[in-house]
Amino acid sequence: MPKVHINGKEIEVAEGTRLIDAFLQNQEEIAHYCYHPGLSVAGVCRLCMVEIEGNPRPQIACNTIVQDGMKVTNKSESIKESVKWVLDFHLINHPLDCPICDQAGECELQEQYMKFGQYDPEMGERKVKKRKVVDLGSKIVLDTERCILCSRCVRFTDEVTKTKELGIFNRGDHAEIGTFEDKPLNNNYAVNTVDICPVGALTSKDFRFKQRVWYLQDKETICPGCSTGCSVKAYYNEKGYFRLKPAFNEDNNGYWMCDEGRALYRHANKEERLLQAQVKADDGSSHMAPGAATKKLAAEIQGLDKQKVAVVVTGQYTNEEYDQLISEWLKPAAIQQVYHWKNKEDEWGDFDGLLLRRDRNPNSKGLQDRLQKASLVNDWSQLEKNLEAGQVDCLVVIGPEIQAYYDDMQDKLKLFQKAKKVIWLSSNPVENLVADYHIPMKTYLEKDGTFVNYSGKEQKIQKMQNIVSQALSLSDFAYLIAGKEIPLTGAAS
Amino acid sequence: MSIVKRGNLKNSWYLPAILSGLGITFKNMILNLFGKRKMLTLNYPEEKYEYSPRFKGSHVLTVKKDGSIRCTACMLCATNCPADCITIIASEHDDPSVEKYPIAYEIDTLRCVYCGFCEEACPVDAIRMGPEWQMPGINGANFVHDIRQLAKRPNLKGGVVSVLDEEERHKAGI
Amino acid sequence: MAVQYLTEHYDDKDFVSLKGYKAKGGYKDLEKAFKLKPKEIIEMVKASGLRGRGGAGFPTGVKWSFLPDNGEERFLLCNADEGEPGTFKDRLMMEKAPHQLIEGMLISAFAINSKKSYIYIRGEYEYVAVILEKALKEAYDAGLLGKNILGSGFDHDMDVYRGAGAYICGEETGMISSLEGLKGQPKLKPPFPAIKGYLGKPTIVNNVETLAAVKYVIRDGVDAFRKYGTEKSAGTKLFSVSGDVQKPGNYEVPLGYPLKDLIEKECGGLLPGRKLKAVIPGGSSAPVLNAEEAYRATMDYECLAEMGSMLGSGAVIIIDDSNCMVDLLHVILHFYHHESCGQCTPCREGTGWIEKLSRKIVSGSGRLQDIDLLDKVAQNMKGRTICALSDAAALPTISFVAKFRDEFEFFVREGRSKVKGNIYAQSAH
Repeated sequence: MPKVHINGKEIEVAEGTRLIDAFLQNQEEIAHYCYHPGLSVAGVCRLCMVEIEGNPRPQIACNTIVQDGMKVTNKSESIKESVKWVLDFHLINHPLDCPICDQAGECELQEQYMKFGQYDPEMGERKVKKRKVVDLGSKIVLDTERCILCSRCVRFTDEVTKTKELGIFNRGDHAEIGTFEDKPLNNNYAVNTVDICPVGALTSKDFRFKQRVWYLQDKETICPGCSTGCSVKAYYNEKGYFRLKPAFNEDNNGYWMCDEGRALYRHANKEERLLQAQVKADDGSSHMAPGAATKKLAAEIQGLDKQKVAVVVTGQYTNEEYDQLISEWLKPAAIQQVYHWKNKEDEWGDFDGLLLRRDRNPNSKGLQDRLQKASLVNDWSQLEKNLEAGQVDCLVVIGPEIQAYYDDMQDKLKLFQKAKKVIWLSSNPVENLVADYHIPMKTYLEKDGTFVNYSGKEQKIQKMQNIVSQALSLSDFAYLIAGKEIPLTGAAS
Repeated sequence: MSIVKRGNLKNSWYLPAILSGLGITFKNMILNLFGKRKMLTLNYPEEKYEYSPRFKGSHVLTVKKDGSIRCTACMLCATNCPADCITIIASEHDDPSVEKYPIAYEIDTLRCVYCGFCEEACPVDAIRMGPEWQMPGINGANFVHDIRQLAKRPNLKGGVVSVLDEEERHKAGI
Repeated sequence: MAVQYLTEHYDDKDFVSLKGYKAKGGYKDLEKAFKLKPKEIIEMVKASGLRGRGGAGFPTGVKWSFLPDNGEERFLLCNADEGEPGTFKDRLMMEKAPHQLIEGMLISAFAINSKKSYIYIRGEYEYVAVILEKALKEAYDAGLLGKNILGSGFDHDMDVYRGAGAYICGEETGMISSLEGLKGQPKLKPPFPAIKGYLGKPTIVNNVETLAAVKYVIRDGVDAFRKYGTEKSAGTKLFSVSGDVQKPGNYEVPLGYPLKDLIEKECGGLLPGRKLKAVIPGGSSAPVLNAEEAYRATMDYECLAEMGSMLGSGAVIIIDDSNCMVDLLHVILHFYHHESCGQCTPCREGTGWIEKLSRKIVSGSGRLQDIDLLDKVAQNMKGRTICALSDAAALPTISFVAKFRDEFEFFVREGRSKVKGNIYAQSAH
C-alpha cells in the first residue's frame, strides 16, 4: 500500500489509486471537471493540477498514479494561481447566463469559481457564439455555448452505453459537442449525460424549468423500477417530487440509472394519486377516508369463510409490510389462499446488459422468501380455478404501485371480476377497475422499509414527504383489516 | 421592573395641559380656516399626495422594446423575497436566445412587505418598484397581481421599457 | 560550410527511382543491417547521438529502447506531416529520395522488430505522396518490402497514409489518433506511444529526416556519423531557411553551424540595404531571437536551448527590419488559434484569447494593459496542456512581447505600426 503526502498529511491508499481519488477520498479539495470516477480519464480540463515534489512542471492529478513516498500539494501559491487561470480560461467564452440556466445552483462552474476562482476577469474581447437550445430528442436539450468541452458525456456514450451518439465537432474554440446532424440522443441511459454534465449544456426536458434546484431537498432511496434496485436520490419540495437521479452504489448501479427509472417520481405526485378510498355503495361509489373504509371492510369480512378469502400480492411493497401482513392478518385469520402475481415470469431473467432487468418489481425476491417461510406458496392456476368455480367470496388484490409495467393488467382485472367482492389496494387509480373497495396506499417515497434486489441484497428505502397523508401502508392495512388499531410506533409505516 | 413616577403637583392637576392642548388645536383651526394652502391634511381620495419618483410602491414588470416581458423567470426575486409572495411558472420560449420566460408571474400584495428585495435581486432590470401605491380591490383575489396587471396596467401607458436589451447584448458579444 | 551528406545525390534526377537509387549504392545498407542483430543497431543509433529531427530533439536510440520487450506487435510510424510554418525539408527528402527514407525505415523497423509501418504524410503534399506510393510499389516489386525481404526472413509492410491538413496531426499522439481513424487529437501521456500507441500497441514515431539518417549511421558507422556536428548534437541537419534572405531554401549543414554563417554564406546574406531584426530558429513555435542573439547563435540543440529558444524542426525564418513584429505575432497567433484541436481548455480558449488581443492591437484599438495581458495569458498557457501546441502559441508570444516590447507599445500609443511600409503603418484612426 503506497503512502503519499497530500498537503502535508500522510495518507495510505490502495495500489494503483489515481492521485485525484486520493485527494477526494481524504476530503482534500481539488478542482476538476473532466474527471469522473465512472469514466476513463480525458485529462482535458487541466484543473486538477498539483505540484509533485521533484517534478518541475505541475501535473494533473487525474492522470497520475500514486507512487510510494510521493509528496503532493495543491495549496502552493503557484498552483492556486494556475487553477485560477485555468478557471478563467473555462469562463471566458462561457455565456454566464446563470439566471436562465437550469443548472444554476448545482453547477460545478459556479461551485468551483467560488472555491478556487474569485478573480477579477480581464477578458474584454467578444465571446465566441455557438448554438443554443439544440433539441436532442425527447429527453435532452443541448446548449453548446455553455459547454466547457469536458467530454464527460461523449465518454459516457462511448464507454458506458457504447452507443456513441455524441461527439465533439470542429476544433479550437469553435469546438462543440453534438450528435451527427442533431440526431436524437434517445438511448435508455441518455439522461445520465445530463447528470454528469458539470454545467448547463445538457439539460433534461423532463426537469427543465420546473424548479430551481435550490428549492429542492433530496434523500437517497431505492428505485422501484426493476429488480436491480439502483440507489437513487429523489428531489422534492412541498409541491411534490420533481426528479430522480442516480446515487453512487458501488456494487449495484455504480453512478448510473436508466431513463425509465427516472420517470418513477410522477406517480407519487398528487395529480396522479388516488386521494380517497372508493367504496361501492348501492347508489354508485362513495369516497371515504382510507382508514375508515378499511375498518368498514374489516367488519364486513369478519364473518366470511376464510377458505373463500383470497389475497393476491405483488412484489412492489417492502419486506416489513409483507411481514406485518402475514403476522397480523394472514396468519391469525388463517387465510391460506395467498397468490404471488408475477407479470411475465418467464422473461424475468432478461437483462439489458447495464442495469435494467425485466422483473419490474423491486422486491419479488423479498416477497417470495416471506411467502415461503410462512408456507403460503400457492400456484396461480389454483386461483384461476377457484375464481372460475365461484369459490372466491372476497379477493384482496395488493396491486402494483407502478402499473405501467403490468401489461397484463386488463386481463387480470377481468379475471378478478369473477370474485364476489374485489378489494383493490394501490397508490394510483386503476383504469377500468370495478372494485368494492379501492384503498389508496403509500408510494415508496412515503415510507421506510427494505427491498431485496435480484441478487438478494437488502436495501433500505426512506420516507421523504407525504403527498397523500391519509394513504395507508400495507402494514397499516394489515392492522386495520385484522380489527386492530395501528400502533403508534409501528415498525414500518 | 418598571419605575413608577409619582406625579408632582403640576402633573396631578390636569387642567393646564388640557388647556395648552386645546390651544394648539384652536390655533391650527384658525390657520386652516384662513390659510387653506398651508393646510397639512389632504382631502383624500379627491386630493392625493405626490410622492417622489423613487418611492417604492407597486411592482412593475418591465417590457422589452417589442413589448414582451423582460423577465427571464430566473426566480431570483422569488428566492430573495422575505415574504414569499412571488410565484413564477417558467416555460420554454420559442426564441433560442431568450430560452426561458414566465407564463405566470404573480405577486400576492397582501403578503408583500414592499421591501424592494425583488428589485435588487433582479439581474435583468425586469422588476421595479413603481411610484404608485393605491391598488384598491374588493376581495382578496384582487390583491394577487398577475402579469397583465404588473406589466400592462393602464397607468403604465403601455409598459415600462427596460434599459437592458438582449439583442444589443448579443450583438456586443457579451 | 554546407555539406552534402544526406543530400549527396539529390541533384541526380534518377535518384528518385529504384534503379537510380541502387546505382548509388542504395539498399546496400539494408543488407548490412540484416547481418547485425536488432539490439546492435539500437546500440549503434544510441551511440551515434542521433536526435529526433522533428522538433523535440529526443535521442532516437533511447526512444527505441523504451519499447517493452514482450513480443507484442509493434508499429513504426514515419512522421511526414510537416506542418510547422517555415519547414519544408521533409518534402525535399521525400521528393528527391523516397528510397532513402524507405531504406532508413526498413532498417529502423528491423531494429525495433516491427512488421508494419506507415508514412503519415500531410494532405497538402499530394504529389509527394504519389512519388512515395510509386517508390513503395517499386520496392514491393523488387522484393524489398513484403515477405522475407532480401532472404533475411524479415517481413515488413509499408503504407502511405495521407493526413487531411491538420497541424496537430504532426504531434505524435495526434498522428496516432488520426491514423486510427479518430479525430486528430493528441492523447494523454502517460502511457507514451512506445508503450501504448497505434491501436494500443507499442509504436515508434520518427521524423522523415531522423529515419533517413539511420541509414547513414549504419552505412558509415558511429564514428563517421559523429564526424559532423557537436558532442551532444551529432550529425548534419537540413535547415529550411525562409524569409528576407537572398537565397532561401534547404541547406544541409553540420549541427553547431553558426547561424550568422548560415545567413551570410549559404543564403547570400540579407536583401540589400536591410538590417537583421530577428530570427525564428526552429519553426514558428520557437521563441524568437533578436539580431544580437542571432549573430551569436550556433545551430545546435544546446546553444539554442541556452538562449531560450529551440532548434525545433530546423525552420529558420529570417526577419529583417522591414517587418512589423506585432503584425508577425498576429499572423502566428492566428495560425495557432486556427489549429488548436480544442481538447485542453488553456489552449482552446487561450489561443483564441491571445489572437483576439493581438488583433485588437493591430487594429489600433489596443490598450497598454493588453500587452501585459498578452504576456500573462501566454505565461499561463505554457506547460498546462497535453501536447505542446499551447506552448507553441505561448512561447513566441512571450518572446515577441519581451524582446520587441517597444514596437508593441508604439503600436498601442500611435495606433499604427512602427515600421514604415508595413500595411499597418497608416493609423487606423
